[in-house]
Amino acid sequence: MVERSFKKVLVANRGEIAVRIIRACREMGLPTVAVYSEADRPALHVRQADEAYLLGPAPSRESYLRIDRVLDVAKSSGADAVHPGYGFLAENAEFARACEEAGITFIGPRSETIALMGEKTSARRAAVEAGVPVVPGTLEALADDAAIRREAERIGFPLMLKAAAGGGGKGLRFVARPEDLPSAVARARSEAASAFGDDSVYLERAIERPRHVEIQVLADAHGHAVHLFERECSIQRRHQKVIEESPSPFLTPELRQRMGSLAVALVAKAGYVNAGTLEFLVDANRNPYFLEMNTRLQVEHPVTEMVTGEDLVKLQIRIAQGERLPFRQEELKQRGHAIECRVYAEDPDAGFLPSPGRIVALRVPGGPGVRDDSGIYEGYEVPIHYDPLLSKLVAYGYSRRDALLRMRRAVSEYKILGIKTTLPFFERVLHHPAFVAGEFDTSFVEKVFAEADRVRERPVDVAVAAAAIRAFRERQAARLQGTAPGGSPWWRAGLAEAQRRL
Amino acid sequence: MHFDATIDGRTLRVEVRGRDGRYTVSLDGRVLEVDLQDTGRDFVSLLIGGRSYEVGLERRPSGFVVAFPDDTLTVDLADAARGAGTTLRRAASGPARITAPMPGKIVRVLVGAGDEVGAGQGLVVMEAMKMENELRAPRAGRVRELPVREGQTVETGALLALVE
Repeated sequence: MVERSFKKVLVANRGEIAVRIIRACREMGLPTVAVYSEADRPALHVRQADEAYLLGPAPSRESYLRIDRVLDVAKSSGADAVHPGYGFLAENAEFARACEEAGITFIGPRSETIALMGEKTSARRAAVEAGVPVVPGTLEALADDAAIRREAERIGFPLMLKAAAGGGGKGLRFVARPEDLPSAVARARSEAASAFGDDSVYLERAIERPRHVEIQVLADAHGHAVHLFERECSIQRRHQKVIEESPSPFLTPELRQRMGSLAVALVAKAGYVNAGTLEFLVDANRNPYFLEMNTRLQVEHPVTEMVTGEDLVKLQIRIAQGERLPFRQEELKQRGHAIECRVYAEDPDAGFLPSPGRIVALRVPGGPGVRDDSGIYEGYEVPIHYDPLLSKLVAYGYSRRDALLRMRRAVSEYKILGIKTTLPFFERVLHHPAFVAGEFDTSFVEKVFAEADRVRERPVDVAVAAAAIRAFRERQAARLQGTAPGGSPWWRAGLAEAQRRL
Repeated sequence: MHFDATIDGRTLRVEVRGRDGRYTVSLDGRVLEVDLQDTGRDFVSLLIGGRSYEVGLERRPSGFVVAFPDDTLTVDLADAARGAGTTLRRAASGPARITAPMPGKIVRVLVGAGDEVGAGQGLVVMEAMKMENELRAPRAGRVRELPVREGQTVETGALLALVE
């Protein structure tokens, strides 16, 4: 493979990840092209890129998922590479193939590898062939409901129902009892069809009290592959990760090394190129089971970047340019500890329902060891059409305890008003004794934390005092207005503001 | 000045006196001395007995949403002089209105008008921000109204079902 430098990179995504990729390109001196939907003209990625072109109407199927439109923009703008980010077209083999055929470099694996690893059942078969243990279940996607029922009885309940084309918790259902199966299948199929355009599903035995631990891998086009250690991702709600960290407080050095070796073995076997992640469930006895491979950058990539000191997005671009990996396995080290909190526009007090709307006020944390990968700004309207991820807040420290204390401090500084976010939820999770001790599994949020949270002390007195005094001052300002003298401009502005608020 | 403040499911009798940032707040007879300073259009700093709080205040038609680092509370305020506590009385009885918590699309209607439903039974499935959310009956009863169709787009607050 010939090494060459890209001329211009099209970022086929939106929101915080598009901003993250644009930042990497800018640091590498690469011009960037943003694409956007009609709902995203004010979005931050449009403002930060060197060029930006409209794809189509707000629904992603008519904009960010339009392969033809994205490629038209790449050709007409002179972009010779496309970074897909995560979500949308990131794991779409058809898109990668269309890029290859158009002579535009897809920054990611080859289209055949995406097809192989992206389809979850063929990935499971590839893992079995590479000697990687998998969760017991079906190795084929199940077409009809009768086959699902038959296989479910064979595997036994409780089980997990998964979209074959899935990811990000979409099309995923925990099924406790046989009578819950038909409605779970209908919901999973419909969600999968809408999210991935493919409604096939498969089954896995549900592992009791599992931890979700994943291995980051990088492979170049010259046959070299390494792993960049693990990320602990067990803190989830609705099967979606909300807090991740590296290292995992649960792994022993031996298990870390074993999982890393298994991951590199599968990558080598599959002829994988670029960045990828192998997700594992680890049971209470520390047995790892391969779940699936994500053939793309992960949302939680910053924690790996913090502990290894490497920039995964730049490495993705360099690998796509045909460069060799700049390090060997033994040169990579995990130093210190990093934690990420995914700040979502969701209401944690209402079952994490999405909370779109205008951000009326924003204060972003700073200080030592804090990183905020955000796609928002004050005055920005969070649209209803897309994933509600606003920002990824990352804290780094010498030890897990350092990182945890720093994250609490950063979360308490972070203020987003106008919409509900997961920030108050994080503040409470970061104080929960089980989280502090590092003792939790994937049921933590819905079981252990939810129970403690229901009976929490709420700052009722302070809230009422703040609201009542503000209301009292507004009334007084309104009353004064009739008799207000000329006064200073500040005084007049304050009155006008008070009046507007009433 | 007197208010009835409704918060976290209960109502407190509140009195506020003072000026120039120093206030005496009485909550059901308990007295707090509060030093309050505006620190931005939507933020205030409070000192209560030496303890420092920085909170966000978002205006709502019925009061404020008060944002703390670890919690968010809605405070509904009614001037004690003008008929207080109306919000509370409305919520306590009558048919249960199930409304759209956000804008989105109705992907499935699980029951029909006139059906008897149990508490917690799914009524409609809404898709918003790429996730499907099942909206359930808050209590057992009969579905009196069901003014939505599959495929329909609804705005926040739109009536989805009425269970009595």
